[in-house]
Amino acid sequence: MYRYLILLLMMSGHANAHEFTPTYPKLKNSYVEGVLYTTMTLFNKRPDVEYYQFNVFDKDWNKVPFAMQDKTMRIKHLEKKKIDVYIREKDRKEVKYICSKSKLVVGGSSKTSISSRICSKIK
Amino acid sequence: MKKLVILLFCAFSAQAEEMEVVGNVESKCIVTPDTAGVYGNPTPDVLSTDPTDGGVDPVVRFDVIQASMYKARILYPTSFSESPALNDVVAWTGDVATSQVSDTGMSGYDAAKVEFDNVTEFSLTVAGSTWFKTETQADYGYGKAFPGGVYRAVVSAECIAI
Repeated sequence: MYRYLILLLMMSGHANAHEFTPTYPKLKNSYVEGVLYTTMTLFNKRPDVEYYQFNVFDKDWNKVPFAMQDKTMRIKHLEKKKIDVYIREKDRKEVKYICSKSKLVVGGSSKTSISSRICSKIK
Repeated sequence: MKKLVILLFCAFSAQAEEMEVVGNVESKCIVTPDTAGVYGNPTPDVLSTDPTDGGVDPVVRFDVIQASMYKARILYPTSFSESPALNDVVAWTGDVATSQVSDTGMSGYDAAKVEFDNVTEFSLTVAGSTWFKTETQADYGYGKAFPGGVYRAVVSAECIAI
């Protein structure tokens, strides 16, 4: 129990991290027939990154068609954004991963040059 | 009159209430760039992040709240994201390893890692923080000197739900 508490306290202090939840999103019916959606949350704690790109993949990492407001989104430092990802019902069995990837600006101010990607899995 | 005072007193007296504090521990993975990498230039044809070559290995930290729910996949670069014009081949080599762990149970991560191409995968089987360092080296042509200028390359750190 203490280990989790310490870990939580440690994580709350991050000011330079990429967080994408939930780990296992559930697809729900949307207001459009034949279209499912799930809501993901991205918390940008990386001061060197302002843009994130989203993608949906099958189990073999092939791209699966999806829709969302913007597939590359501006998320400012310390901003938390809820993102709805829409997927065709016929692709339901194919969809495996929903990923967010930090986009670094070429020749930009990023000192780390570390690109981060987090993928959630649809079970 | 006395009753009125008691009534007023009761009306304004403080009341004890129970307040709830709610917390939610959910499974998640957090990727944190920890140390910026720097290329050293020990010989004219080599750029290396190895500290013995005057470089700094980039370090990235993975935090997982629950064990065995994610794997870390780290890709060392195989091209420059920014460089002067290069007219010969650059040969890339690299290695990814743990540099620090928050739990002794993570000591087996290096022995169990899976490597292919420029990818190294670690199963994050213990909850906590793991720091991974990525060592890369770029060799230019056949003993050719790298042209002067700024060189950048990107290490990709991925956390994938399993």
